[in-house]
This record gives sequence, C-alpha cells and structure tokens, in this order.
Amino acid sequence: MTVMNFVYGFIILLAAFIFQTTITGFNRKVTARIQKRYGPRWYQQFLDIFKALRKSSITHGWIFDFGVIMALGGIMATVIFIPVAGFEAFPNMDNVYIISYLLAIGMLGMAMSAAGSGNPWASIGVSRALTNMLAYDIPLMIVIFTLIFAFDTASVSEIAAMQQGMGILGWNAIRMPLGGIVAFIALFGMLGKKPFDSFIAPAEIASGPMVEYGGKHLGFMFILHELMTFIEVSLILNLFFGGGSSILVYAIKYAILYTLVNIISQVMPRYKIDQAVKFFYRVPLVFAIIQGLVVIFLGWGVSVWF
Amino acid sequence: MTFITVLITLLALSVVTYLVSLINNKLGAYFTIVTSLVTLLLLFLLKNSIGQLASISLFTFKLTTVGWYFSMVMVVVYFTSAFLNPFWMKKMIYPAAYNLFYLVSLIGTIGMFFARDFITLFIFWETVVWTSTFIIQMGKSRKSSYVYYVVSAIGSMVTLFAMMLVYQVSGTLEISVAFNALTGQPVLALIVFFTFLLAGLSKIGIFPFHVWLPMAHGSAPHTFSPVLSGGLVKMGAFIAYISVSAFAAYEAFSSSFTIMGIPAPIYIIMVLGAISIVVGTVMAIRQDDAKKLLAYSSVANGGYILIGILLFDQLAFAGGMLHLVSHAIASATAFITIAIVAHRTGTTKMSKLGGMIHKMPITYTVYLIAIISMAGIPPMGGFVSKWLILQGLADHGLLFIAAAAFFGSIGSFMYVFRPLSAVFLGQLAPKHENVKEASIMMQIPMYLLTIATLLIGVFPKIILKVIAGIQAEAGIQEIVMVGNTIVVANGVLDTFRVFVVFGYGFLIALVIFILRRKSRRVTLMDTYTSAEFVHTPELLHYSSNFYAPFERLTKKPYPVLNLYEKVSIKIKEIGHMAESLFSSPKPAVTIFWIIIVFAIFFLGGVL
Repeated sequence: MTVMNFVYGFIILLAAFIFQTTITGFNRKVTARIQKRYGPRWYQQFLDIFKALRKSSITHGWIFDFGVIMALGGIMATVIFIPVAGFEAFPNMDNVYIISYLLAIGMLGMAMSAAGSGNPWASIGVSRALTNMLAYDIPLMIVIFTLIFAFDTASVSEIAAMQQGMGILGWNAIRMPLGGIVAFIALFGMLGKKPFDSFIAPAEIASGPMVEYGGKHLGFMFILHELMTFIEVSLILNLFFGGGSSILVYAIKYAILYTLVNIISQVMPRYKIDQAVKFFYRVPLVFAIIQGLVVIFLGWGVSVWF
Repeated sequence: MTFITVLITLLALSVVTYLVSLINNKLGAYFTIVTSLVTLLLLFLLKNSIGQLASISLFTFKLTTVGWYFSMVMVVVYFTSAFLNPFWMKKMIYPAAYNLFYLVSLIGTIGMFFARDFITLFIFWETVVWTSTFIIQMGKSRKSSYVYYVVSAIGSMVTLFAMMLVYQVSGTLEISVAFNALTGQPVLALIVFFTFLLAGLSKIGIFPFHVWLPMAHGSAPHTFSPVLSGGLVKMGAFIAYISVSAFAAYEAFSSSFTIMGIPAPIYIIMVLGAISIVVGTVMAIRQDDAKKLLAYSSVANGGYILIGILLFDQLAFAGGMLHLVSHAIASATAFITIAIVAHRTGTTKMSKLGGMIHKMPITYTVYLIAIISMAGIPPMGGFVSKWLILQGLADHGLLFIAAAAFFGSIGSFMYVFRPLSAVFLGQLAPKHENVKEASIMMQIPMYLLTIATLLIGVFPKIILKVIAGIQAEAGIQEIVMVGNTIVVANGVLDTFRVFVVFGYGFLIALVIFILRRKSRRVTLMDTYTSAEFVHTPELLHYSSNFYAPFERLTKKPYPVLNLYEKVSIKIKEIGHMAESLFSSPKPAVTIFWIIIVFAIFFLGGVL
C-alpha cells in the first residue's frame, strides 16, 4: 500500500463518477425518446447533482447524516476495488465476495440513514429493497459460485481476463447461457430498474428510502446512485461479458449493456415485491441451479470453446 | 499450574460466590464477574501447558488446543455477560442460586472441553444442561425450560447410548482411542456417527432439533441469553469436532457413497445444517420479539458453523471455527444490547419500541457493529469467517449447501436490520422520553466485545493462528497467512486493506459533507406524510409487520412444529392413561391390578 494506490483509487472514483453520470444523462435522453419526448441535455444529470449539493438541507439527527456518509464511504471503497479493463488501484483486492459484501455496507448506511429520518415511507422502502435483494442476489450468487468453482478463482479481474481473446464466444454469458440470462435479469434487480423498482415507487411510497432527503443529502444520494450503478454494471460486465481488453472497449461495452437494460426496463410494468421474489425463485433460481449442475457435473462451458 | 488446581479453585470460588450471594445478592453478582475474570486469566495461562494430562478420582482430562480454544470463547462470553448480573438480581426469584448455577455451568463447559474420556465428557455436559435448565426457568416461562430440558435430554441420552456402544466394542472410554475399534465395521460406525452427533445437533440447534432455541433464548433471563446464544450453543460444535477428528468420520466412511467427495452420512448432516440456515433465516425475519429474532439467527449461524467444521479441510474448517468466535461475540453483543434496552424500557417487543438511538446512542453503535459482523459485512469479524466458508464451499463445488449459505447471508441483512430500524431508529414514543443510556458498568462489556469484533475483522490473524494450531493437531492442512493476507487456493483476502480503503472512502465522503452548507435540524415528526396530518409518533413508526410481503410469502414455512405439538399431545394422553390405570381412587381398579399381579405370579410359577 503506497500513496500511489490511493491516488489511483481517487482517479478511478472520479472517472467512474463522470463516466456513469454522462451515461445516465445520455440514457435520460434515450428514455425520453422512447416516451416520445425531447428529453433533457446530456449533462443535465451533472447539473442536478451539483445543484442539490449547493442547496440548503434538513437533518433528522446525527444518524441521518452519519448514515449518508457511511453509505457514500462504503460505496466509494467498493468502486476503488473494481477492476476496470485490467487496471486495479489495489492489486489482488478484487475478490468477488469482498466487492459484493462491501457494497452491502453502503446499502446498510443508506438504509440506516433513511430509517433514521423517522418517516414510515422510508422504512417501507428499505424493507422492500432488502426483500428485493434477497430475491435477485441468490440466483446471481449461485451463478457466481459456479464461476468460482469452474475457474478456481474468485478474482473478478482474473475471471474477466479468462474470457478475453476468443471474441464473443469467450464470454461467460455465451459459454454458460443460462447463467448469462440469470445475471442479465439480476442486473435489473440490482439497478432497481423496472420491473423490480417497487422499492422506490414514487407514486406509491413517495420514493421510499429517498423521501426525506434534500439539499446536500440528496446530492450525496445521487452520487451514491451513480457509483452503485457503476459497481453493479461493472461486476456483471467483468464476470459475464468479458470485461474489456482496453479502457475504450470497456467503456463501449459498458454503455451498450447499461443502455440495453434501460431500454428494456422502459417498456416493463412493475412487479409487486412478493411477485418479484416469486419470479426470481421460479425462473432465474432454477436456471442458476441447472447451470451450476451442468458446470459442476458435466464441465460444459468451462473449456468447451477451443 | 495444573488443570486440576484451576478446576478446584473455580469450584471453591463459585461456592464462595453462593455464600456471599446468600447474604448480599448484588455483591454475589459482582463475584460472578470476578470469578469469570479469574477463570479467563487462569485459562489463558494454561495455554503453555497444552498436552498436559490430569485426573481427579473418576475424571480424566487432557489439555488440547481445540479445548483451549472453545473454552476461551466460552469464558469470554461468560465474563462479558456477567457484567449485567448485578442489575438483574432484583428480578430473580433465587438470586443466589442463579449466581451459583452461572458459575457452575461455566466450570461444566470447561471440564467438558478438556475431557479425555466419555464419562467425564458426559457428566460435565449434563452439569451444563442441568444448571442452565434451572436458570432458564427463572426467566419468562416455565414451558420453555421444559422444552429445553426434553430436547437436551433426548440428545444426551442418545449420545450416551453411542458412548456405551463404543465402549462395548473397544473396551476403553478414552475418546481418542475408543473410536479406532470401529474401523472395518461400517454399519456400526454409521450408527455411532448419527447417535453420537445427536447431542451436538440438538445443542447447536440444527433442524429439526432447533425448537428449544427460540423458546429458551427468548424467555431466559436477559442476562443469560447472551451466554446461551454466544456460548452454550457452541458446545454442539465441539461434539461435531469430535465426530470428524477423534471419530475420523472421513476415514470411517471412505468406502461409502460420496457426493462431491463428501461421504454420504456427513453430507446428510451438512444438508441438515443447510436446512437450519434457511429455516433459521426465514423464521428470524418473521419475528417481532427481538430476542426470538436473535435466537433464530443463532439457529442459522449454527448451520454455518456445523457445515464449516464438518468439511474438515484447510478452508471451510478454519471458516467454521472462526465463525464460532465471531458469531459468539456478535451474538452476545446483540443480546446484551437488547437486554439493556429491555432493562430500560421493560420490553423486547420491537413493535412497542422505537427511536432509542436518541436516548441510547452508545448502545445503538454497539448493536450496529455487532450486526455488521453478524451479517458478514466487512470490515468486521463475521465477514472473514463467512468468506472462508463460502470460498471453501466453492472449492468443493457443494452447490445446494452454498445456495443455502447465500440465502442465509442475504437474509441476515433483513433480520439484523429489523431491530436496528424498529428498536433504535424511527419515531421515539413519548412514554420513552425519559429513558436513559446504559450505565458505565453495562457499557464495559459492550466496549470489550466491540473491540474484539473489530480486531477479528481487521486482524483475523490473531484467531487464525490458533485455528492453524488446531488444524495441525487434527492432522489437516493448515490455513496460510502471508502478513495480513489470507491466501487460499481460490482467492486472497487482506482485511486490513479493506478496512483502510473503507476508511479512505469514508474520509472523502466526510470531507465533502463537511465542506457543504450546514443543514437545519428538524424534529422527527417534521416529515413528509403525503399531506396527512399525523400527530402521534407511534402511528408514524413503521415497525410491526416489517417485512409484510415476505411474511405473506412464507405463511406456512414448515410443518415440524405441528408434528412436535401432535407428538407431545399423544405422549400426554398416554401419560394420562397410565395415570388413570395406576393411581385411580376407585377400588375396582386397585382390585383389577391385584388380580393381574397375582395372575402373572401364579402363571409365571406354572410356566
């Protein structure tokens, strides 16, 4: 651990934030075009965030503030561990369990701060978000478990590197098609995109966890959301879609994946939270288990493309 | 210093404690703290004399690393929860007896962990069961202590049967030797494996023997629940350890049918562990009583420990052993904080609490760190152990057990968050306006345990070194640490770095937060309510039915409870029948029995 590691970490943070916020701005335009609107400018998302950070805000006590800081801190730490096109700020720290559980500390901070506001909408939103997590994470973790078993490593960058050099056929999503489908569906759940967005449902529970935030707290939440999106999309991209051999390839693939998810989600209705759990346990979970059994007992997809 | 001296010193101290408690029970309660501290120090000193043999009359002991490890965990839990004893003396029916049983059960556990022969093991095991039964009875309900005793008794009796069976075959009672006689007798080995393990399974709360746990933990005196969940449950893990080390289950079943390289009998027990993870998690999410919730979480975590220990390899075994410590500490901390909340407010029902953070910020912070560990989130102790277990499962390719482990670890986010939100966050009820923070005396154990959780999470080396010793003793591959990094076949983990980077992220966020404009403080009631006017804080507090959609999904989770209920009704009916036959006041019944007895007597004479 040298100072340079921390500098690289900061660069990754900054780059991730700028990149993802730009993509979000672009996707707001895509969404608008699907809905036959003109849409805001591509840098509108930046304006929103910086405006929120400048405004005055309210607080409901120390936990309301502390939770927000802990959330952003946890998410930032996770971003630093994400390998981007083979580049890692801290080498050997990209273990998939570290990333997925460190992500949880950010979520816990956010949930804590939201519940600390004393608003019941926020607590309902958190309870839904956690239930949603129980739904999408188990099929996804089973597929990731299969990957670890197949490649004998839990390092995200190593798994990404193993898929490169064989073109599209090397991707885990193609080698293990059922697992790829599960990961793609789980990405909707992770990002809170329709049909799995009932925990923020603005018309029903007043945006759920976000209801009490304003000013700098809201700005923090925006930044947090962008960074969390970066982590989640990067994780799926690295594990199932081959990562990227260079930054440019990574960025293009990333943009395509995120935009695809966004476009599909725009034409989806919304699941109730228990319907979402049922769906994930009926379809993706079964797919994930079949994929796992195929890989573990038949060995298909591990080295079949040679 | 010999082990016998230690044992006798402790016994003498507990008698002194009892006598002092008879005069002044509060002073006696302070004696329990001192005695458990003395135990801790003496045990720590015993580390140098590992390998020592000792015996006194019938009992024989052997100091082993694994015994030392287990008893250290136990004593730490006993010592820290003893700090609560003085505050509960007024509520106990028999305070002096409570203090005595508290210490005797501690001595029982130590004796059991160092036992060299079956008889010592069994007698000390029963000592713990009996003393803890009497303590549980001093809590909320008597029924729970009956259930605890019945389940424990079934477990111990079946295990005793296994011990006698082994004795008959081998002719010796020494644990490390006796099992050798079973080699080459697969059927007998199978019977002994399942029967011997039963006491352990019932103690650690493995499905379907977990029913006593939520009842006993939920209704035991608040001071004893941390001990039950953090300490006594771990006795079951010790039995599991014996079954794979001294019994050498992997060698005994090496010729049997294997699943992913695991012999079928061991796999069956691991599946039971996986089921208890799922059942414990689902039931914990559904609870409204904070103590019951934590008790069910102990069921789930017991499953992790059992799976880890039974895998008996470099990775998952280390994970299971480490999880034993991290869960013991986290769970004891969580129970202690809930006990303090109950002490201040008089209830453990989450739907009746709320907003405690504004009155008890320290208790809240301690609970927060405990649950971060319990949910397996870095940088706390629980993460390291869960990471080792999950990596170990991936190494073996045990898909279904891993699926249960994932369910348990994501589900744990749900159940640990519920008390956090319902008890500590949200609206503060007006009747709790005058609730005070925990007193300094109560804060001491919380600080100690929190530091321990953090230390294990950031520097797991401290514990893993001992675990490597146990692995060496058991003859399996040791866990490897390079500096602060745990290096295993399929991954590396440097927890210190995770901690530092988290601190770095936190620092950046903090700086941005401080640099922005200061926010205006508003009251808790000053929230967005969609144009509703709500003036009662209780109505704005979201705590009952917290996971309503999930509870809808799992309305009928599993039928075991009903089955037990039916069986107990049948047993009662049979009992009533027997009672009516033998102790009826009617003379006709008496004459009937006299005739029967005479008939048997004469007929027996003829035949």
